[in-house]
Amino acid sequence: MTTSRDYMDMLGGAVLTVFGLWFMLHAFGEYNIGELRRMGPGFFPAVLGGLVAGFGALIFLPALFRAGTRVQFDTRPFLAIVAGILAFAFVVEPFGLVAATAVLVGITAMGRVAIRPVEIAIMAVCLAAIAVLVFSWGLGIPLHPFRWNF
Amino acid sequence: MELLANLALGFETAFSPTNLLYCFIGVFLGTFVGVLPGIGSLATISMLLPLTFHVPPTTALVMLAGIYYGASYGGSTAAILLNLPGTPSAAVACLDGYPMAKKGRAGVALFMTTIASFVGGSLGIIILTLFSPKLAEVGLMFGPADYFAMMLLGLIAAATLTSGSPVKGIVMVLVGLCLGMVGTDVQTGQQRFTFGIPELSDGFSLVALAMGLFGVAEVIGSINRIKDKRSAEDAPKITFRSMVPSGEDWRRSALPMARGTGIGAFFGALPGTGGTIASFMAYAVEKKVAREPSRFGKGAVEGVTAPESANNAAAQTAFIPTLTLGIPGDAVMALMLGAMIIAGVQPGPRLVAEHPEIFWGLVASFWIGNVLLLVLNIPLIGIWVKMLQIPYRILYPAILLFICIGVFSVNNNVFDIYLVLFFGMLGYLLMLLKFEPAPLLLGFILGPLMEEHLRRAMLLSRGDPTVFMERPISASFLAVAAILLLWVAFGLVRGMVRRAPAPSTPVAGA
Repeated sequence: MTTSRDYMDMLGGAVLTVFGLWFMLHAFGEYNIGELRRMGPGFFPAVLGGLVAGFGALIFLPALFRAGTRVQFDTRPFLAIVAGILAFAFVVEPFGLVAATAVLVGITAMGRVAIRPVEIAIMAVCLAAIAVLVFSWGLGIPLHPFRWNF
Repeated sequence: MELLANLALGFETAFSPTNLLYCFIGVFLGTFVGVLPGIGSLATISMLLPLTFHVPPTTALVMLAGIYYGASYGGSTAAILLNLPGTPSAAVACLDGYPMAKKGRAGVALFMTTIASFVGGSLGIIILTLFSPKLAEVGLMFGPADYFAMMLLGLIAAATLTSGSPVKGIVMVLVGLCLGMVGTDVQTGQQRFTFGIPELSDGFSLVALAMGLFGVAEVIGSINRIKDKRSAEDAPKITFRSMVPSGEDWRRSALPMARGTGIGAFFGALPGTGGTIASFMAYAVEKKVAREPSRFGKGAVEGVTAPESANNAAAQTAFIPTLTLGIPGDAVMALMLGAMIIAGVQPGPRLVAEHPEIFWGLVASFWIGNVLLLVLNIPLIGIWVKMLQIPYRILYPAILLFICIGVFSVNNNVFDIYLVLFFGMLGYLLMLLKFEPAPLLLGFILGPLMEEHLRRAMLLSRGDPTVFMERPISASFLAVAAILLLWVAFGLVRGMVRRAPAPSTPVAGA
């Protein structure tokens, strides 16, 4: 699929330009720039921000004048994985590693079109066992297998 | 013979039971992830970084290095059998390896790639052994200005010599440098870009950044792209008999392996270039010098062996600038550098003199690792062919789980899980917009070092920026960097004049 302008590079370039400008202004505003002989903490970031903005514009401007291709955003895998990792982070401390593994496996498995419930359940059990054996007990990472406090 | 004494010390270190075990784990895992498409050595090394905090630095580096060169052995397996490169540098192996497999010569192709890998790897280690101490001596003469100029050159080279758009490469390096600024400024103690978040006062966690950009992002992009069925059905049975190459195979491969090694050793040691570029170069050279170029692409054995030698020689010589100058040539080396800094070892010219057990132990472990890989890849090739049949739908939840637990274990803090998620989303968006994340990682790790050298150089010169031109070492690095930038600018202007409607990045890296 083609588009009349290269919207992908326009987007990328614009975001980078804004980010670079913000980075530079923040460094100027909040940190001491110092002088060449004795640079302050703001000097290097300010220069970097300016360069990012400049190169961002170099990506944005030519993209205005050329055709581009549309890319495919993998919405389903993206959402499934973001939700799965978020769920793991929420669950792991209050409920323990086993529950967190189960939600991670269960939710991230939704990223595929074909869902096989039995296989997912088996996978969750096996991975939870491995996680507890290797990480909680084997390596001594302070993650309790089971927990029930909020 | 100082060299022999050093090597003896190295082997003594490398043969200690712990180091031997970690070397084996490293090359085993390396081969494993190299064989499997959809997970690379960068993701694996970042996943295992937290594990290495508990072992001595030498042991940690032996294992991480093993993953790296192990992956460059394994990468060609999937390329030959399934036409799917397991690692980017193995993409060339598809060109002639897969046709060989279709002709029923998969066994020979696998055997010859292992031999070619071993030859390239071994010669690469010899070059590393001979040149590193010399380069370290040169490195001792470097001042802060020279270091700054060299890092600048390394970053520009890494950014512009990628397969994608050079402008995007440069911008990624710059964004990496920006991200590297987050945290406490070492000279003044000022908190920069932390916005009052206490977890950010030490900067972004390297593990979270690398795992997000290379692990999580890769999984999101791969879930529906890697077809499971294909691997289960297409993988042929490899018998020992089918692996025996003919005399002609040997004859055709001998010189290409030597040339490939030379090309690989050169590009591996240069900052910014690495195994992927080296293997493509080696292939192009073989095609040029061949008497019948038409055989290429139809299963020519030298089309497999030359790039494989190149890619493995590069994997070894890449350690030369990293260990002796503290300048990583690519993202994997940047991670190794990060691992060394976390372990409290400062890589650079003093490493060879002050920590000979680390340097020579690592070099000796490369020999052991390469021999182990020979065993892993020839008699045990059947295991890896089986591994290819593990469906990705089973693999990826496991990868994500290990990422989550691994990133948590660094600081025992849930904050790092959110961070890995953030960088994962960022990495996926970058991938969609065709920005390569590897230069970003390089910039992130070199950022604080560069700033420090810049400030020190300017302090020493009393604020006179001409110091970078007056010192011959720094001036020559800057000259090369300027040439690279001019070359990019020239390409850019020419592209705009032509105003070709073609997309800006014709070849995506992986």
